[in-house]
Amino acid sequence: MIEQAKKRVLLVEDEALVAMLVEDYLTDLGFDVVGPAMRLEPGLLLAQTADIDFAVLDINLAGKQSFPIAEILRQRGILFLFASGYGTAGLAEGFEQVRVLQKPFDRNDLEKAMQQVVP
Amino acid sequence: MSLGLSESRNGEDGFAFLGNGGEMGALIRDRDWALTPLGPVSEWPGCLKTATSLLLQSPVPIVMLWGEQGVMIYNDAYSVFAGKRHPHLLGSNVREGWAEVADFNDNVMKVGLAGGTLAYRDQELTLHRKGYPEQVWMDLDYSPVLDESGKPAGVIAIVVETTERVLADRRNAAEHERLQQLFEQAPSFMAMLQGSQHRFELVNPEYRKLIGERDVLGKPVGEALPEITSQGFVELLDKVFETGQAVNRTAEKVLLQKPGEGVEERYLDFVYQPIKNDDGDVTHIFVQGSDVTLRVRAENHQRLLVNELNHRVKNTLASVQSIATQTLRGANSVEEASGAISARILALSAAHNILTNENWDGADLAVIVTSSLEAFDGLDGNRFRIRGPHVRLGPRAALSMSLALHELATNAVKYGALSNEAGFVTIDWSVIRKADSSAFTLRWCETGGPPMPASDRKGFGSRLILRVLPMELGGTAQVNYGPDGLIFTLETTMQAIEESVPGD
Repeated sequence: MIEQAKKRVLLVEDEALVAMLVEDYLTDLGFDVVGPAMRLEPGLLLAQTADIDFAVLDINLAGKQSFPIAEILRQRGILFLFASGYGTAGLAEGFEQVRVLQKPFDRNDLEKAMQQVVP
Repeated sequence: MSLGLSESRNGEDGFAFLGNGGEMGALIRDRDWALTPLGPVSEWPGCLKTATSLLLQSPVPIVMLWGEQGVMIYNDAYSVFAGKRHPHLLGSNVREGWAEVADFNDNVMKVGLAGGTLAYRDQELTLHRKGYPEQVWMDLDYSPVLDESGKPAGVIAIVVETTERVLADRRNAAEHERLQQLFEQAPSFMAMLQGSQHRFELVNPEYRKLIGERDVLGKPVGEALPEITSQGFVELLDKVFETGQAVNRTAEKVLLQKPGEGVEERYLDFVYQPIKNDDGDVTHIFVQGSDVTLRVRAENHQRLLVNELNHRVKNTLASVQSIATQTLRGANSVEEASGAISARILALSAAHNILTNENWDGADLAVIVTSSLEAFDGLDGNRFRIRGPHVRLGPRAALSMSLALHELATNAVKYGALSNEAGFVTIDWSVIRKADSSAFTLRWCETGGPPMPASDRKGFGSRLILRVLPMELGGTAQVNYGPDGLIFTLETTMQAIEESVPGD
């Protein structure tokens, strides 16, 4: 019996409680969660090396911005969206068109946003 | 001796020299000069007649002072100047006619009759020509009148009253002085730029302060303040000069390069006001404004704070959402979930209180531990043994640690050392200093509790302390069950827990 492999989603989120929640949401939606990475450096490492299909990126990681992670994902052709308490304000140049999920959000918001990003 | 009156009737040509001498000509004709040192007109020497004829024809106020006594003969223009003294002044001796300035005229007579000349500009004198003392100013020019033998016989004086002009000049000077003071003391910066090159003609102290006390007078703006050329201000001045339309700007950013200092960013409210001449051409631009840098910075800072606050509120809401959602997932009853949600939100709130007191800069580990466990301590207050060196936690670590301690204590109350009367918990931590980074270890060690079943590792508490806390603090965590109870160990680096920047 062949089981279809679950899609793997990298979660980068530095807030412990929020990371736990989004991890649950992604699991509920049928994804395997990679991470969560809670700081820029482990996030960069996973973005470069992990076998992933999609990513949910918090923008501010303990004072550092996650745009370098987004850059790597873009180079690898992996789709992603941002989740941020700042909303769309403060997106780096080149990422203005990326979908931003304003915190707080629920599972339906996450699912809808992911469907919009993945054609 | 004959009377002047009969003389005028008898001598047809005796007064011909008076010509059309105006009112004064007629007065001279009618005066009985025999009563004066000059004697009857028929006996006047030719030079006196000629000089009289000359002054009567002149539109300029002229008076002649004849002989040692200075007998006065003057023209219509002078009669206006003489005021109420006229017409009695005619034929009087100058020292008596102008008694209040007799000394002055005494000198005039001495110098003039000695062949000298005198010239005064805006000479100030007090005259009583209207019946009261009056301060007047005059341009006075005295020169001798020579008789046939070449000897000075009188003095001729051209008298131009300048009182009105002097007073107007004084008013102008006072006005100018007042404007200059306003300019110098103005709290705003001001400069006057001349011509199409915008040369600095005037700058006030505030303007000098703004540009770092540079010497700019006489120089074109572009040369005096080279750094502003590329910032569009010279083009703006050109536009005002060409169109004659004033320009107003609010909170305009300007980068100034003060001598010996780095580039400084200032924000200015200012107006470029064109000054036009009578033909309507712009000749100058008046620059006036205020440095509003402090206000702009305060506004920016406030905007930043509001953004930051909004961001923090959103995060807190997301944290509360997480607590509620996850607690409800694992709950056996609504009552249990309700209590747990409240307790977890209160734990989060207590940590916020501590961080707020510290301006979100961080918190002492001992304070976080004590505060997190306060609600769980018994009445006797000795269920916790807390020891460790002074350690400062970053704001992120402080929040996570508070939540983790809350979960550990809740578990201990339910199943562990705090579920009976005898058990206690030892919380200790240590720092081992190394060359590159220092190792931090925290232990939660329960003693005297009942035997405990291994807990459900998928519950909120387990996930928090075993997965999320170590991940957030960049270390490892484990739970062991010893014979005396649960032992939780967290190992990470000082660098990770001191991290001071709150993220989102």
